[in-house]
Amino acid sequence: MASEGGTATRSSDSDSQGGYEGWVQSSIQNPDRAYRAAFYVVMIFFLVTTLFPLYWLFILAVTPNNMISNMGLLPKGFNPGAFVEVFTTLPFHWYMFNSFILALITTVIVLILASLAGYVFGRFDFKGRGALMLLILAISYFPPAAFLLPLFRLFTGNIEILGLSSPMLYNTPGALFLPFSALSLPLAIFILTTFYAQIPDGLEDAARVEGTTRLGALFRVIVPLSAPGVATAAVLTFIWVYNEFFFSFLMVDGQAKNWAPIVWGILGYQGQYSASYNLMAAAGLIGVLPIAILVVIAQEKIVSGLTAGALKE
Amino acid sequence: MGDVKLENVTKRYEDVTAVDNMNIQIHDGEFVCLVGPSGCGKSTTMEMVAGLTMPTEGTVHIAGREVTNLPPKDRGVAMVFQNIALFPHMDVYDNISFGLRLRNFEKDEIDRRVDKAAEVVQLEGMLDRMPDEMSGGQRQRVAIARAIVRQPDVFLMDEPLANLDAKLRVHMRTELQRLHKDLETTVIYVTHDQAEAMTMSDRIAIIDGGQLQQIDPPLECYNQPANLFVAGFIGSPSMNFVEGEVTENGFTSEYMDVEFDPSNYGVSAGDKVTLGVRPEDIYPAESGRSISSPTGEIRTKTDVIEPMGDEIFIYLLLSEEVETDLEDPAASNQLLISVPPDSDVEEDQDMSVVLDRNKIHLFDTESGQAIEHSLVASPAASGASGTSGAESDD
Repeated sequence: MASEGGTATRSSDSDSQGGYEGWVQSSIQNPDRAYRAAFYVVMIFFLVTTLFPLYWLFILAVTPNNMISNMGLLPKGFNPGAFVEVFTTLPFHWYMFNSFILALITTVIVLILASLAGYVFGRFDFKGRGALMLLILAISYFPPAAFLLPLFRLFTGNIEILGLSSPMLYNTPGALFLPFSALSLPLAIFILTTFYAQIPDGLEDAARVEGTTRLGALFRVIVPLSAPGVATAAVLTFIWVYNEFFFSFLMVDGQAKNWAPIVWGILGYQGQYSASYNLMAAAGLIGVLPIAILVVIAQEKIVSGLTAGALKE
Repeated sequence: MGDVKLENVTKRYEDVTAVDNMNIQIHDGEFVCLVGPSGCGKSTTMEMVAGLTMPTEGTVHIAGREVTNLPPKDRGVAMVFQNIALFPHMDVYDNISFGLRLRNFEKDEIDRRVDKAAEVVQLEGMLDRMPDEMSGGQRQRVAIARAIVRQPDVFLMDEPLANLDAKLRVHMRTELQRLHKDLETTVIYVTHDQAEAMTMSDRIAIIDGGQLQQIDPPLECYNQPANLFVAGFIGSPSMNFVEGEVTENGFTSEYMDVEFDPSNYGVSAGDKVTLGVRPEDIYPAESGRSISSPTGEIRTKTDVIEPMGDEIFIYLLLSEEVETDLEDPAASNQLLISVPPDSDVEEDQDMSVVLDRNKIHLFDTESGQAIEHSLVASPAASGASGTSGAESDD
């Protein structure tokens, strides 16, 4: 029990040493306040840094193109027509469709291959397992640019293998989803290996005794029980491919019918002598939409997977 | 038909041999327990029957068919696991019908069989529950239902009751026996709990160090253990062992002698033997007069007394200098005896005991193999009395 005298001394101290000292004193006595303040500061920082670019795109999109100069924080004028003009100037939906399909194909390929690899790495103990994992990790550290020239020559039919010239894949989806898959596999393998390794052996044994093959046990028991991990790997792969610039830009000639993805669509609003920044901004915003929706849906899936996935044997 | 035959089955890992040249024949409808201490190879043996582990050598036959290299799904076996291993993402119905759905059974047939299995294990009305909404006992029943619904040739049970609490374990033990009686399917049951093995099985296979030690009906394993390991493993508390030597008059050791004619048992003077006797076959000298063929009195001193309610365990010291070693009840210088609960005993009192010659086992110390399970046939024993401990000579 603090004496009355002690309390009086402390309050007079904080009075005499000003507001800041007083605030520190009360935070020490009541740390919840300090935590809450820190929470708000950090949250506002994140909100501003992540949302401001979107806001900035929106300002640019609704400002008529001839007025885009010396932009402030508010739009100059209001021209929502830009969001329609995006589609009339160029078949932007076509570019989006290309990106979407490429991301989808890549995700499916990556999930299947990474599931098989993750199953082996996560559930078998074999010689050279560590070395192989390390090799995959090392490959994932390669800069994609290092692959570009050889791959470009390969995909444009400039390399002869045993007297056969390589297939002409330039301007086809093959030139895109093959390098995409190869580059996003290592991360997916690592994620799935971790998740698959945590499934108790008994469940796989039970499935096999009940009548599945090893593969059947993988896809009927191990994969469903690792749903959060599979969703994570899928979302990361999808977003990475959807956002990819390097191969998307260089492996096709930029025409929508030749599987050019979004990056070519946005660049299409830039002519030789003029650039429609409002249309580029509007296209950017529209391009983000599918990913935003996907993440919202997937996040629900991930959270529900995490809460339902109480893996008691 | 659900007979199982293991022929010369061996499983070697890089640095250890888990199962060493195992030969077991299990008949159709039999309930066989594989028992042994942890790491003795009993689970590996079962996994090789299930097909989850492939033997390095030897063959496995199930129902007259060689299945050595078949995957588990084609062997006609069902398994109940120690950790129960229900699929957490499926409800009870889906768990039970998993194997049937994989085999493309008709929906009606699946429903009929699942209902029947649920009835057998008393799970009616719980088919739409998820495993994590059920108690341990209920989950174990689902696992059993999942095993019986496919009507397999052989049930494999890998310590299915080990994760249940003591009361439920006894209850499920009874239920499993009832189930076996009703279904008449071959059961192979792995356990490290010898009480479970004794009560449930038609025959017990005792395994140690990857080798089969003995496979016989429970009482035979108890009364006629094939070797020192079986004698010590079966029975709780375990058998008393006294290491000693054969003389021309019988058995002698530092603390006690038992007279018999060595020639009757194929041993000769100088052989190193171990005498084994169970706690309930040792009697205080005064009550020992009631048994037909007691040995001579052995002078001891009581040490620790453990009243169990229905009986009292007494640790007897054969020599003054040594303390009771509770860690190793089979240590040579002490005897553990069991007496009726109304016996009047105190710690540190002198006590003379006699052994029942009918129930004395002799083992070859070197090889561990049993030589004899009763010393009563010995003509030398009649009328003659064993001498007491070494101290009594002076």
